[in-house]
Amino acid sequence: MVSTPDAGGKPNPWSGRNIAYQAYRLKNKPELIIGVMCLAFLAFVVLVPLFQILRDAFTFQSYDLSYNPEGEVGAFTLFHFDRVFFQPISKALFVKPLINSLSMGVAVTTIGIIVGSGLAWLMVRTNVYFKEVFGAMLVFPYMMPSWVMALAWLSLFRNDRIGGSEGVMTSVFGVQAPNWIAYGFVPIVITLSLHYYAYAYLLISGALATVDSELEEAGATAGMGKWKRIRVITMPLLLPALGSAVVLTFIRILGTFGTPALLGLPVRFFTFSTQIYASINARNQGDAYVLALVLIILAITFIWINSRIIGVRKSYVTMTGKGFRKKESDLGKMRWPATIFVILFLCLTVVMPLTLLLWESMTLIPGDYSWNNLSGYFWYGSGNVDLAYGEPGVIHNKGILGALGNSIKLGFLAALFNGALGLLVGYAVVRGRGGKLSKALEGIAFAPYIFPSIALGAIYIGMFSSSIGPIPALYGTFTILVLITVIKNLPFTSRTGIAAMLQIHQSLEETARVQGIGWFRRMLRIIIPLSMSGLVAGMLLTFITAMRELSLIILLLSPGNMVLTGVIFGYQEQDMAQHSAAVTLMLVLIIITISVIVKVMARGAGTGRLNTT
Amino acid sequence: MKFTYSTFMRTVFGAATAAVLSTAATPIMADSASDLETWMKANAIGTHAMMEENWSDIVAKATAEGEVVIYSSSGRIAKLKDHFEALYPGITLTLFDLGSVKTIEKTIREQDAGIYQVDVVTTGNSGSVIKELLEKGRIFNYVPAHMRDRIPAENRDPLLYRVNEAIVFFYNTEANPDGAPIKNVWELTMPDLKGKVGIKNPMSSGSSLMGLAALVQNPDEMAAAYKRLTGEDIVLSEGVPDAGFEFVKRLLANDVVIFKSGSKLADAAGKAGQTDPLIAMTNMTYIARNDAKGNVNAIMTDVDPFSKMVYPTYMSIAANAPHPNAAKVMIAYLLGNPEMNLDSKIEKPYTKGAAFDMLWGLAPYYDAGSVSPRADVPLPAGGEIWGEMKGTTITAEFMWKQGPKLRDFWLINSSN
Repeated sequence: MVSTPDAGGKPNPWSGRNIAYQAYRLKNKPELIIGVMCLAFLAFVVLVPLFQILRDAFTFQSYDLSYNPEGEVGAFTLFHFDRVFFQPISKALFVKPLINSLSMGVAVTTIGIIVGSGLAWLMVRTNVYFKEVFGAMLVFPYMMPSWVMALAWLSLFRNDRIGGSEGVMTSVFGVQAPNWIAYGFVPIVITLSLHYYAYAYLLISGALATVDSELEEAGATAGMGKWKRIRVITMPLLLPALGSAVVLTFIRILGTFGTPALLGLPVRFFTFSTQIYASINARNQGDAYVLALVLIILAITFIWINSRIIGVRKSYVTMTGKGFRKKESDLGKMRWPATIFVILFLCLTVVMPLTLLLWESMTLIPGDYSWNNLSGYFWYGSGNVDLAYGEPGVIHNKGILGALGNSIKLGFLAALFNGALGLLVGYAVVRGRGGKLSKALEGIAFAPYIFPSIALGAIYIGMFSSSIGPIPALYGTFTILVLITVIKNLPFTSRTGIAAMLQIHQSLEETARVQGIGWFRRMLRIIIPLSMSGLVAGMLLTFITAMRELSLIILLLSPGNMVLTGVIFGYQEQDMAQHSAAVTLMLVLIIITISVIVKVMARGAGTGRLNTT
Repeated sequence: MKFTYSTFMRTVFGAATAAVLSTAATPIMADSASDLETWMKANAIGTHAMMEENWSDIVAKATAEGEVVIYSSSGRIAKLKDHFEALYPGITLTLFDLGSVKTIEKTIREQDAGIYQVDVVTTGNSGSVIKELLEKGRIFNYVPAHMRDRIPAENRDPLLYRVNEAIVFFYNTEANPDGAPIKNVWELTMPDLKGKVGIKNPMSSGSSLMGLAALVQNPDEMAAAYKRLTGEDIVLSEGVPDAGFEFVKRLLANDVVIFKSGSKLADAAGKAGQTDPLIAMTNMTYIARNDAKGNVNAIMTDVDPFSKMVYPTYMSIAANAPHPNAAKVMIAYLLGNPEMNLDSKIEKPYTKGAAFDMLWGLAPYYDAGSVSPRADVPLPAGGEIWGEMKGTTITAEFMWKQGPKLRDFWLINSSN
């Protein structure tokens, strides 16, 4: 384009000077550049799948030929919507599962938030004993696949409805657990709560750690009572973290599959996720995607409500560069009871399921839990034809060891990319707060959460099976596993990114800017160190989910990129209980070990930086 | 032309939309029809299949191809890798254990995207395999010429079976010392057995759905069996089309227990020491868990109208397979050693030594409850009763046309 002056005398927007001016303006708004870049990337990896879901929901699928043999595959149709919402099957396919899922979500979220924030308060703000150890152990349940808890529940309370070997309760007390305790809503809520409280615990303990005790003391000085201080000072400061925890837990519950399938099926308690899974399994994308769209709308509604609550009051800045003190309240007489409560809680959620796994892995004949049936064969045996189809024990098994390497690689890479992306998204959203870009970015970064994992996997096969522009065909590669894991976990890291950014006052960055410090150095020296605790927590969660994720990547796995959960899935399919228990235990122990190392290192680094500020 | 902010934005959004649309839309299949034709002709597959084959020539070509890629609904096939590679040095076996749905899904999605990397597709799920894969030219039937006469026509036409399996009824022999507790399927819907029948969830298990559908596809026999049991004609509930669907409705109304896993169901029914155990409607192969788990299950061999609901697992060569000759060798291998005959003595362990060298690709599946498509393979120990049991085989036609309706029916009636 030639740069000629406009007839009206207006400056040409493409003149060299104007471009330079605009570039200068942009340079001072790095959040804009970052925002646009993130938005473009996310639009591609999130909107394309969404578009495909919409397309399949509105077009005639080959599965539908059974209902209408005259139909033309690929033609536009409202058949699926009519079916899901208005036909007699709607009650079974849509209404009841919706009610079940929602009530499950509300119950688990409520319990999870109460338990999680209670524990967070105990760990961060009180002088309960053994805090270091407990703090680390409280996230262990989250590191186990969620169905481990359900299996433990079954072995405790199994009654004669599903027959077979007796549950521990029946064999010890001679009493059959009633159906409502053994299966359905109650046990699902309990086992899921014992798994998902970790979200609330992690987010709220992170936020609590950054709340300055001086603020509360100021309240006390002003004559506020204890509860009023909590209500007026602490709670509002925790609200963003609390809101995130509620939204994340709730939506995650809507999509969870393993536990409702294990505990709900025997009494026909169906949820949205089990219906979607069943539909996908029958290759009935029409039903599955319409249901998935409902989930998406639910999630969007939730985010909207959440952003309304938090968006109204904007200042939740707790990191100001001024003095900061953290005070522990003395529990007094309650110190030991509180400690014992935490110990019991940990026994229930950590020790018991892990013991069951270890035990299971060491039974020679599965299901026989007597002493003389114990054996280490499935750990170090070299392969005996009569046992488990001749599959060698864990330490001799090349398949398991190869998958182990891949799992760890996947966990680290996903966490790294996710942390970076989460930080950038958080930065762009918070600094541009109020703008359209910020809103769009926040929404789109959250979108992956509501895709049913297995559907996202199916779509990614189609999307990346051939090259798209400069992107080569990623299908069957390790890269696609990393990509899909990063995308699926982005909602979480971007929430932590946003939560962390919300607490960092702009003045800190402005001070550096006044001194002429460039954006990269500001990020490196101010933003990243200050948001480190939240960010590391977020990255750790990504690492954990990546290591134990299955439904998301199951369609994308091949021998070349096999991971441990895929191996476990294989053993479960073949009902090789000991191998599956052994590998699960190994996976859990590795996740725990690595997380503990990371935490210790992060804490060392974190305090180091904190002292210098 | 004036290049303002708004035109700029419009261009950006236009380009973005175009990018989204183009990646989402089904890729254009350039000249795929003629490519496929060339491939079939060059490799004597599909319409160019030959009744006479030079087998050693095929093996030589297969060795030159160097690899065979399998998508399988079954993980047990992995045990063949070492044996196959030792028998055919130079051909590497690459296996994708995907389960039946993903096997079909992956084959379709890849081929739609113009990717051809699989050679052999082996899976159950009749309706989709025949209607969506075979009839759409995504897979081709291949029967090795030297094996053709040993396989009854119904086991190789329209598509070759890899193995036949069945859903059957198990009962606990300790709790029922006098033999099977029922003689007629309709007894499962009677008050005596309320909450005492277990079934693997047909909503998530293809084999369980096919087993149920095999009963439903015979409404006349079901109605007749009802009359033989009760002496009365069956009265259909409102809105139920026939006696087959009526059975499903009554089974659910009788509080049938739905299991996620067929093997756990077999264990639940067969665990020793129970006084009032479940009757299990599950895969016949789980009878092997009597040895592995100490179960005391037995198979009912005389149920009116059917004791076994048979569902086949197919094998085929994928369209545009990159290693077509290796695929042929693999399919022949999966059929078992041609030297095997009804007098062959085959002893455990099946996946070792002499037995493996006789069974070849059948070895991991040589269990009571699985049957080779070949007429000249002896039935495995414990599975001899297969021949005595009256059965019905699920048809692809019924699965394709009625399967979804059966699922809907199950869903509506199983919802509390």
